[in-house]
Amino acid sequence: MPATTKTNSQLLINGILNENPIFRLALSMCPAVGISTTVMNGLLLGIAVLFVQVFSSCTISVIKNYIHPRIRIPTYTLTIATWVTVIDLVLAAYMPAAYKEMGIFVKLIVAFAIITMRLEMFACKNPVPASFWDGVGMGLGFMFAMMTLGFVRELLGMGTLFGYDILGFKPLLFFVLPAAGFFCVGIMMAVFNYVELAYNRKKKG
Amino acid sequence: MKIFKREYLILSILAVLGLALLGGCKPEHRFIKKTAFKDTNAIVITFADRVDEAWAKNTANYSIYEKPDPDIKLKIDRVSLSPDKRTVVLAFKEDLNRDQPHILTISEITSGGKSLGTALVKVKKLYFGYLFSILIGAMIIHNFVFTKYLGLCVFFGTSQKKSTAVGMGITFTIVIVFSAMMAWFLYQFVLKPYRLDFLQIVVFIGLVSLSVQAVDTILRKVNPALFKAFGVYLVLVIANCIVIAVPLLLADNEYNGWESLMLAFGAGIGFLIALFLMSSVRERLDLANVPPTYRGLPIAFVVAGLFALAFMGFSGMSIF
Amino acid sequence: MKEIIRIVVSLTVSCIIAAFVMGTVFAITDKAKKHNEHLNVQETMLGLLGYNKANPAPPDLKLFTMYRYIIEDDKTKNLGYMIPVSREGREGYELLVINLKGEFVECLSLDISPEKASEESERKSSLRAVVKPPRTFTYSDSTIIARLGGKRLAYLLPGEFPGFKTFIEVMLALDPSFKIMGLEIMEHEEDPGLGGEIEQAYFKNQFKDKSFEKVKELKVVKEPLPEEYLRYLEAGTTKEGLISRKEVEEIKSKYQDRDIYALTGATISSRSVTVGVKNIIRKFAYRVNILDSVITGQKIPVAF
Repeated sequence: MPATTKTNSQLLINGILNENPIFRLALSMCPAVGISTTVMNGLLLGIAVLFVQVFSSCTISVIKNYIHPRIRIPTYTLTIATWVTVIDLVLAAYMPAAYKEMGIFVKLIVAFAIITMRLEMFACKNPVPASFWDGVGMGLGFMFAMMTLGFVRELLGMGTLFGYDILGFKPLLFFVLPAAGFFCVGIMMAVFNYVELAYNRKKKG
Repeated sequence: MKIFKREYLILSILAVLGLALLGGCKPEHRFIKKTAFKDTNAIVITFADRVDEAWAKNTANYSIYEKPDPDIKLKIDRVSLSPDKRTVVLAFKEDLNRDQPHILTISEITSGGKSLGTALVKVKKLYFGYLFSILIGAMIIHNFVFTKYLGLCVFFGTSQKKSTAVGMGITFTIVIVFSAMMAWFLYQFVLKPYRLDFLQIVVFIGLVSLSVQAVDTILRKVNPALFKAFGVYLVLVIANCIVIAVPLLLADNEYNGWESLMLAFGAGIGFLIALFLMSSVRERLDLANVPPTYRGLPIAFVVAGLFALAFMGFSGMSIF
Repeated sequence: MKEIIRIVVSLTVSCIIAAFVMGTVFAITDKAKKHNEHLNVQETMLGLLGYNKANPAPPDLKLFTMYRYIIEDDKTKNLGYMIPVSREGREGYELLVINLKGEFVECLSLDISPEKASEESERKSSLRAVVKPPRTFTYSDSTIIARLGGKRLAYLLPGEFPGFKTFIEVMLALDPSFKIMGLEIMEHEEDPGLGGEIEQAYFKNQFKDKSFEKVKELKVVKEPLPEEYLRYLEAGTTKEGLISRKEVEEIKSKYQDRDIYALTGATISSRSVTVGVKNIIRKFAYRVNILDSVITGQKIPVAF
């Protein structure tokens, strides 16, 4: 794929809407199902992913001319692993309560397909500013998706938002259970599908 | 090819021997055949021959404590002797904590009027049972897809047809067992002693890539037909959260070699089961009348949610 | 051939750079992590004793930590207590060895300062200097003793026991007569909404003010929590829980000797916590009585 022709702001919006990692590209769904039990969790993991995505994109973009083509994938993996370790250590030290909530998922960021894919498809062919904005877009898209899921699940499951009691009772405890994560993601995906179909129909007719 | 087969044979014999040695708790006195937990609050001692009734019924001859608390002796409520005078059951007032090994001292065992000395035995659950419970745990109770939500991307990608699902599952099991064993080895002998714990992530993901590469090469040379069938899935394995979750878990829980093997094997087979179940359903879904917005992934997620609910029924189960 | 060398070299260089970055971050964050952990535990302990931002701990409240080890060689097993002592005004640690029958064996002086004692590795090296092979030692648990104004205020016991899922870590606060002052759930992996409710006030506070006699035979009953008891239990946490002092005393005396009401849908978790707490307290009470008698018998100048 040649270097992109989109402007920086277009890249940003792209990551959030058109190519939203979870709902459109269907990548990195593990945390979407497992961790989106509260908005806070979604926000924190979103920030972690944003951090890793942006820094990895920029790093690869900077050294893209020195990477030997045959060791492309190991290099990406190494970069991502380094930044994941960094954010993992920082979170464990400065936000221990939040870190415990997320458990193993921070370490698993290294296996998120979305980050590797983005590096492969974008960062290694584009200059640093474009990669930066693309990374931010993708990270924000991830965070947005996680927070929406967290919003729905927390409100319906525990009646709270960000830990503050909104409803005063627990409507459907089921939503906090992990199984509901599957349902919610499925339904959100259907919603996005519907929006796309409606948009296309409007364009045509 | 012949060499390959012979090595397999040797390896399997060693494995069986190893497992056999691990199983059961060997009594440390020639007169005591077996000791085991019974129900929630009793211990059964089986002797090799008949013991004197008067001696057996005297609670003062038994002394028992949990291994980490040698100064706290548990109080025996009742002793009962079997009609054939070979089995003694010690009943306790409170439930025993069967997860802890208990040390039982039986003093002055008297049989036929003669004293046979004092015995110190360890009463604990079968280690083999513990290993087995880790295996079943990783396979079903803590199924990595339905209970831990890992490996979902690949899961949804390859569960459309039964054949792809099974292929992916088998390849995955092989890679994960391989990489988990290497990860355990490295963790125990390199990372831990040198306090390099923070390098876990990098090292493990590196190992996974190496294993994928290794399995790829071996498969290509050894069985090209198999490679043609499963080779394409090997690349997908690396994007799977489970392959890195398993080494991280066994490092966290400080499992030893056998336990890690069980965990990895269970994870792989559990993934295979999940894939198989999902693909069976999805094949049928293809023929069903699904609303357009739900076609494809959304309905697959809903189905997965139903499976997850079903698997929740296993939570908290403990075997052995 | 040249290709392979280039590849290997670039890979090695990247690995080294990556390791350097990670190592630096680790070195910086490790200290902060330990410090935060320590602060967190301290806050929980003070909270259990009844102190918080509105009611800060008095400056002469002191916390002493005692560590228990099992010392064994081929023939005998003994208990070793690493206790803080103050000789000639200086605080230090000594190893008090007691045999399984509760009799004094020996008392050895240890070369370790109170600040370093919280580190497992430091304790290990100081113990190794006095506990020579073939004797070995294994760490068992630790107890924190709070002292205010010359008297023992409370015992704080961190403990761990199996729960419904994996393990539950708790912190118990007992007064000198072994009555429960408070229970805090530190870590658990129970289901949210079901077993996870053990960390809610309406479960934890049921253990408060239960006497030692009651705890020894504490059970779990599968009955719904009475409404008035629920208000009393949550009084400290919710705004609507304001009840009069007289009501508080009434409810407290009524429910003090009742068993623990199980959580809805989490009987096994409730039982695990109850049994775990019961065992911790019983074992501790037994041990501390022996320890105190040996300390007074040998006239050891303990700091608590």
